[in-house]
Amino acid sequence: MRIELKGLEHAYSKTDKALDGVDLVLEGSEPVAIIGQNGAGKTTLVKHFNGILRPTGGSVEINGVDINTRSTAEWSREVGYVFQNPDDQLFLESVRKEFEFGPRQIGMDADTIARRVNEVAELTGLSKKLDVHPFDLTPTEKKFCTIGAVIMMDPAAVIFDEPTCGQDRSGNARLKTIIERLRGQGKLCITISHDMKFVTANFSRVIVMCHGTVLLDGSVNEVFAQTDILRRSFITPPPITRVAQGAGLKETVFTVPAFINAITKERNHHG
Amino acid sequence: MSAIVHVEDFSFKYRDTKRRAVKHVSFDVEEGSCFAIIGANGSGKSTLCNALVGLIPHYFVGARAGRILIDGVDVAESTIAELSNTIGLVFQNPFNQLSYTAGTVAEELAYGLGNHGVARELMIERVEAVAKLMRIDHILDKNPLELSGGQVQRVAFGSTFIMEPRVLVLDECTTQLDPLGASEIFDIVKQLNADGVTVIMVDHDMERVAQYADTVMVLDRGSVAAIGAPYEVFADPELESHGVQPPDYVPLTRALGLPIEIREEPTIAAVKEVLA
Repeated sequence: MRIELKGLEHAYSKTDKALDGVDLVLEGSEPVAIIGQNGAGKTTLVKHFNGILRPTGGSVEINGVDINTRSTAEWSREVGYVFQNPDDQLFLESVRKEFEFGPRQIGMDADTIARRVNEVAELTGLSKKLDVHPFDLTPTEKKFCTIGAVIMMDPAAVIFDEPTCGQDRSGNARLKTIIERLRGQGKLCITISHDMKFVTANFSRVIVMCHGTVLLDGSVNEVFAQTDILRRSFITPPPITRVAQGAGLKETVFTVPAFINAITKERNHHG
Repeated sequence: MSAIVHVEDFSFKYRDTKRRAVKHVSFDVEEGSCFAIIGANGSGKSTLCNALVGLIPHYFVGARAGRILIDGVDVAESTIAELSNTIGLVFQNPFNQLSYTAGTVAEELAYGLGNHGVARELMIERVEAVAKLMRIDHILDKNPLELSGGQVQRVAFGSTFIMEPRVLVLDECTTQLDPLGASEIFDIVKQLNADGVTVIMVDHDMERVAQYADTVMVLDRGSVAAIGAPYEVFADPELESHGVQPPDYVPLTRALGLPIEIREEPTIAAVKEVLA
């Protein structure tokens, strides 16, 4: 899977450019996180990856094919998009029907659908909720229902728009498992998140957006070492990183063990 | 100080469910304090919020026991409208809070005031003041259904706060906001709290809870697992057995062999001393 953007622009109105010339290549199966403050253009950007939105300038190519040559329904076989608000996505009477709907539309055979329903339900923690009405699910379960419905289509790339909203520790652990499983299957996971602990724990590549452009694009360590740029784009690093930076540690760290290593190195260096 | 919220042996089971969502929960919230409720998803936090503002039993049907008093008034014997004079809830999903009858953000903000018969001039004055404070004064003429999640969350917060409740219940009220937007909201919450408004917050961000709360209550599968000052609750090694992780400063200071810290600034100061 390769998604290539060249000078991508999107304007919702004549005076309001939500994307202002984005050049980007996303490929392989290394999970990518997209961060930035509200209104930075993150959701507008990813909605171009399966044609929900169409460029008003520049181009989007999926595996070398111009996005404008196919419909969103056709692209959704290859690039799945999990909406930020589950209520924007769910419309059927049971979790099972939500899971079965997409694959049926693309002609997946009944046996494969039945097998995948069980696998995806187990992955999303909804095995016992398959016959429940989605509106009777908790907000977290609804989110996993939307994720499951998209994974059911077996797309080569999956976009998660703010999957960490309202998640507790076990919800975030399940998201981590899902992303790892998809990565193991060679799928490209692209995730928008405000949860910097989740981002630094699960993604090696991080893209920072600000005012409709890409401000930073690099490894998680490279990006979070740019303290001044992050501050200017109103991004707050996770707590452990803030403590390390506040105390003057040279290394960018995200976890307690990494912090202990860094502090030991500095003390040895000074000693 | 006296308790403005008194919860006494409260239990509730939603209709058509097998288990009680909350079981024998008792606690008091002192007037003017900031009280945090934490716990894993499904531990009963939102159920308790719904019960505090009267949505249980006046909207959600089920089996209940015990009682909840808001400023001395029994929630079960009052109405949601009457209770809203004293206590307001900012919903977890801001889209659930919209009236769906207002054509503009200004009308949405004014909705509750209109229902309470507030004079038009005063209504306009309050809408403008709250819109400015919530940084939504540039979208007053927009349709609430055309806003981003973050903007709707600000509108939802504003439409509760405009009623000037003495008790503000915040059920994960910043999930759609970026960290800066969330801290702007909590700066407002802190100011309201300093002005005497009682705050009851539900949040998964433990660093934020440690920063703002005077008292923390841990719910585990519907029961109170712990209640106390933030330091007392977060420094307890048993906390994680209830599905909750303490602020990252706790495992960090513990691993460094330092006195346990629950907030950022003291942690930085302690680490600086180690490095000095």
